[in-house]
Amino acid sequence: MNDKEQSQGATDALIARLAREARPLRPLAHPLRRALGWAVLALAFAAAMVWAIGPRPDLAERLGDARFLFEQGAALATGLAAAVAALALTIPGAPPLWRLLPVVPGALWLGTLSLGCLRDWWALGPEGLRLTPDPACFLYIALIGSLPGLVLYLMLRRGVPLAPRLTLALAALAAAGLGNFGLRFFHMQDAALMVLVWQVGSVALIAGLAGLAGRGLLRWPGARPA
Amino acid sequence: MKTARSRTGDAVALEPLMTRAQAGDGAAYRQLLAEVAARMRRLVRRRAPWLSPEDTEDLVQDILLSLHQARGTWDPARPFLPWMVAIARARLADNARRYARRAAIDLAAADLAETFFDASANITEATVVNMMSVRKAMGDLTPAERQAVELLRLREMSLAEAAAASGSTVGALKVAIHRAMRKMRGTLWKE
Repeated sequence: MNDKEQSQGATDALIARLAREARPLRPLAHPLRRALGWAVLALAFAAAMVWAIGPRPDLAERLGDARFLFEQGAALATGLAAAVAALALTIPGAPPLWRLLPVVPGALWLGTLSLGCLRDWWALGPEGLRLTPDPACFLYIALIGSLPGLVLYLMLRRGVPLAPRLTLALAALAAAGLGNFGLRFFHMQDAALMVLVWQVGSVALIAGLAGLAGRGLLRWPGARPA
Repeated sequence: MKTARSRTGDAVALEPLMTRAQAGDGAAYRQLLAEVAARMRRLVRRRAPWLSPEDTEDLVQDILLSLHQARGTWDPARPFLPWMVAIARARLADNARRYARRAAIDLAAADLAETFFDASANITEATVVNMMSVRKAMGDLTPAERQAVELLRLREMSLAEAAAASGSTVGALKVAIHRAMRKMRGTLWKE
């Protein structure tokens, strides 16, 4: 038996072993459907946190404010789009355009807050752009995003890490985006610059850190390390 | 393994086999994996003809294992090939990094470091520097010259073997290895 036949024999043995492991399995649902299931859980958790911490006293008034609603809508849409994109990235052969899903809502989110900064400056002068430390935002966003983030991570592990860094960054963007959405129902901070720096900044920081950890946290099961 | 059908063309429909495999049909799964192995073996041999049969099979087996782990992510409503190709591409890219690292180390440590720096090659720091220099020197070569270095120096093939593996001629390889060595010597002496 020559070298070639010998090495192909090992492959044939592997095929036989894998074929013996064939068991009926249910294919993963479409990323949109899985993201929807995740969103229901994430929103329920956020609602529970808002209820536990106590909603802001002016919530009824805010819910009639178009700017608040638009900002919240954009944050929610960014989070949901990022969840769909992350889940789609773990499906081999999924259209690559899926990963760009959060770009439009993300741009709307940043755009509306940037416009808000201009409007605050126009209305209040330099006072409207005052930046004071608000580190609690980071903790609240991380807290509200924690369970949804963990669940999404477990869901991603059922797929394959084709682009682990981007996948995990998008997943963290999803969880933190939802976290920010929940935060604004109890956190009395609506100055556009403060929201942009402390809240969107926290979301971006969390997504960036998760992206760095991507290769370590999402690996091919059973494959040799590269 | 039965690869006769795939050699005559891409006539085997893989979707029904994968659908049955997902339903737990071991025979269909075995046929599918054999088909994938044959296609991947051809692909790897075409892309990296200098790999030894063992290394080629290593890559094929890695792809099969990854496919096995990922088999729940195939959606029966979608075509099989793009799904498989995405897995294969990801695994080949990961493995290419591994091979490139190993090749650079083999190349530097086993052969060229001794050739160019025989006096200082025993010292660890010097070896590391030599490896980096050699890698840099390799970067200046044309693809044909690099292939000649890989086949003749790294794989230690004879000129005839290397010519067969690369589809080149003995004469062309001689010229390529001569030019490659001259260029690398030039780069290394400049350091």
